[in-house]
Amino acid sequence: MKIAGNQTALMMKGKLDAQFDRKGVFIGLFSGCTWGINNVVLGLALTLVPSLGDDAALYALPLAAACMNDTLAGLWLLIYNGWGGRLQEIVRSLKTFPGLMVCVAALLGGPVANCGYLLGISMAGPAYALTITALYPVVGSILSRIFLKQHILPRVWAGMLLSVIGALVISYVPPEGGNSENFYLGLIFASLAAIGWGAEAVLAVFGMSMIDPKIAINIRELTSGLCIAIFILPFVGGWAVVSQVVALPGAIGTFAIAALAAGVSYLAWYTANSKCGVAKGMALNGTYVMWGVVLSVVFFSQELTQNLAIGSVLVLIGATLVAINPKEFFNKGGHNHG
Amino acid sequence: MVELLPLRFRMLHYISTVGKTCAEEMMKALKPEYGTEKQFTKEVFIEHLLDMKANFVIDDNDVLIDDKGELVIYYSINDEGKRLLKKYLPEQWQKIKASPVIF
Repeated sequence: MKIAGNQTALMMKGKLDAQFDRKGVFIGLFSGCTWGINNVVLGLALTLVPSLGDDAALYALPLAAACMNDTLAGLWLLIYNGWGGRLQEIVRSLKTFPGLMVCVAALLGGPVANCGYLLGISMAGPAYALTITALYPVVGSILSRIFLKQHILPRVWAGMLLSVIGALVISYVPPEGGNSENFYLGLIFASLAAIGWGAEAVLAVFGMSMIDPKIAINIRELTSGLCIAIFILPFVGGWAVVSQVVALPGAIGTFAIAALAAGVSYLAWYTANSKCGVAKGMALNGTYVMWGVVLSVVFFSQELTQNLAIGSVLVLIGATLVAINPKEFFNKGGHNHG
Repeated sequence: MVELLPLRFRMLHYISTVGKTCAEEMMKALKPEYGTEKQFTKEVFIEHLLDMKANFVIDDNDVLIDDKGELVIYYSINDEGKRLLKKYLPEQWQKIKASPVIF
């Protein structure tokens, strides 16, 4: 669309647009970094939960952790929105169709994808399940192209694929052979996780055309946490885990810190998605695997294996390609519309 | 009497009722509805407008510098924005073209 206006005004607007693009990219990267922090702190919190046997470790523990992570993050976001005077916006949004779409996004990204992820790993083995679930940014981008008509540059596709390959290299585990009787069912569950996370982003971005990302993410976290608590935890013995954690101040405190990072990260992710589109938002958020490696190596003296190093470099190159148009970067002129 | 919409949704609706508008004009028009709320600031309005434009539901089509030397951007609704409103705006809001009576 042609814009009218005098030269100075057009120049100022160009600056504002460039600032807006840059802000979206930085917020997207920040969401990846804080999600890396969440993963590391959540991992630490899980070590503080008393052992409940192998069965509990398989389903109850990760699902209870997902529930506490989402619910506590939702409570942190309630405090944030309360402080910003936006609590009434939550009620208003829930009375509209876009608000309800965010609830559906929450169900897909929370209970459905989380359960699909865990069942996929347990039935098909981590090698296959993690490979499939790591494709969620690609699924989200394809869905956003179809349903939101978002244009995705070849450069962004290339960067995203590099990041996905990097994530796969980081989380690589040798395949154990597909001899489990539920192997193919496991692959379906893993696909469900990738579709769930991808669809979550698309539905949420649709909703955020009409409601504030700060409100959308608050609705998402509370809906997801409460649904896992009510409809899933009772069937996997998850409440036993939650009651154990609540009784230990150190454990619940660590979960609360992890959830603070999760709340900040999700807020940043939804904000980035709303500013720079699903494909870029997801790809930048996907740098969390690299941030997780960096944090574990720096603060927990984890050994930097060849896989971790190569994978992290690939994620970094991929994210850079997503965020920056090399031509414009080296010319140092204009701004990135990509 | 109608219930208040979420601010961003109401802004989109307001833009659909006027040819083109800017953040300051919108704030004047929506003051009776949201004026007492903490989120009622120019920064918040500008952020909503930039986000809605990035989501392809409104277009910016005019810019100027005001008396204070500040940039003013005018926005209008596009076809996608109109489609969303037609489909998802609550029924009680569909016929409202000016300031409604709020409860």
